[in-house]
Amino acid sequence: MHIDVFSAFRETADRNGILFYYSGSLSQNVIGAMGDALKQRLESQDAKGTTSRKLFSSFIEMVQNAIHYSPDDPDSKGDKVGSIAVGKHEEKYFIMCGNLVQKQHVARIREKLEPLKSMSLDEIKQAYRAQLKTDNTKDDAVSKGAGLGFLTLARDSTEPIEYALLDAPGHENELSCFYLKAII
Amino acid sequence: MDNIYITRTSESPEVDFNFSNHVLNMTGESYPENASDFFRPILIGLEAYLAATSACEIVFNFQLTYFNSSSTKMLYNLFELLNESASTNDNRIILNWHHDEEDDTILEFGLDIHEDFQWLDFRPIILDNAEEA
Repeated sequence: MHIDVFSAFRETADRNGILFYYSGSLSQNVIGAMGDALKQRLESQDAKGTTSRKLFSSFIEMVQNAIHYSPDDPDSKGDKVGSIAVGKHEEKYFIMCGNLVQKQHVARIREKLEPLKSMSLDEIKQAYRAQLKTDNTKDDAVSKGAGLGFLTLARDSTEPIEYALLDAPGHENELSCFYLKAII
Repeated sequence: MDNIYITRTSESPEVDFNFSNHVLNMTGESYPENASDFFRPILIGLEAYLAATSACEIVFNFQLTYFNSSSTKMLYNLFELLNESASTNDNRIILNWHHDEEDDTILEFGLDIHEDFQWLDFRPIILDNAEEA
């Protein structure tokens, strides 16, 4: 990469209010280090209390979701990889995560996320409570969490969570890039 | 009955279940890589203790300041065990629910627990931030 390209990259990030950006290997160790860095960054931005807590919660849910579901990256010797960005736009914070998913899971992800877009906060909280009471070990063999991850993100976001599923360049037949965005 | 003691880490809470004194403490943050691996032995130990305990006063001091979604599910299962014991074994179980005054998420989860598990003596307590720091 040339310095002028890097400079353009920085300027684009600044113009879009990016406060924190990470791209690379994802692991539980990385979560700890990034979580600390993110907390410090938010404190210096004066995001305290509820906002900071909800951003941290969204960060954990997004990264752990990426670690649990993304296949090993075919281009990086089997690591789990992903990108995460936190930024501020007009007094609101946004958090975005991008990672690979297997094509076979794309329909399932859409099924889970699509209904959340049109639900009110009360409906999301009701769905969250219903999921909490469900013995989810039986009905979803793929889910490794509690089926609460996306609902937690939707609950903490002040606007409907956005997502995109795009073909992964070079691996169009097997893999998709999965992007998630929450606003807090 | 063996007590359970697990040291706090950056991603998992201190668990101090002193079964001999009937005092159960959980303090810190909980977002381990695999919440069910972390909580399963705790639930098994708690279940054995509750099965062998009746007509007792048990105090649970819940002092977690953050828990991720998969930990939330395991905590729900834990309170379900306590509720069953309170309803069938004549145990009186006090649930001291410590939460930051501004933390609606943790208070709301506590209120859900209170509503779903009515045999637990639920007592919300606002965390003293000065003391916490």
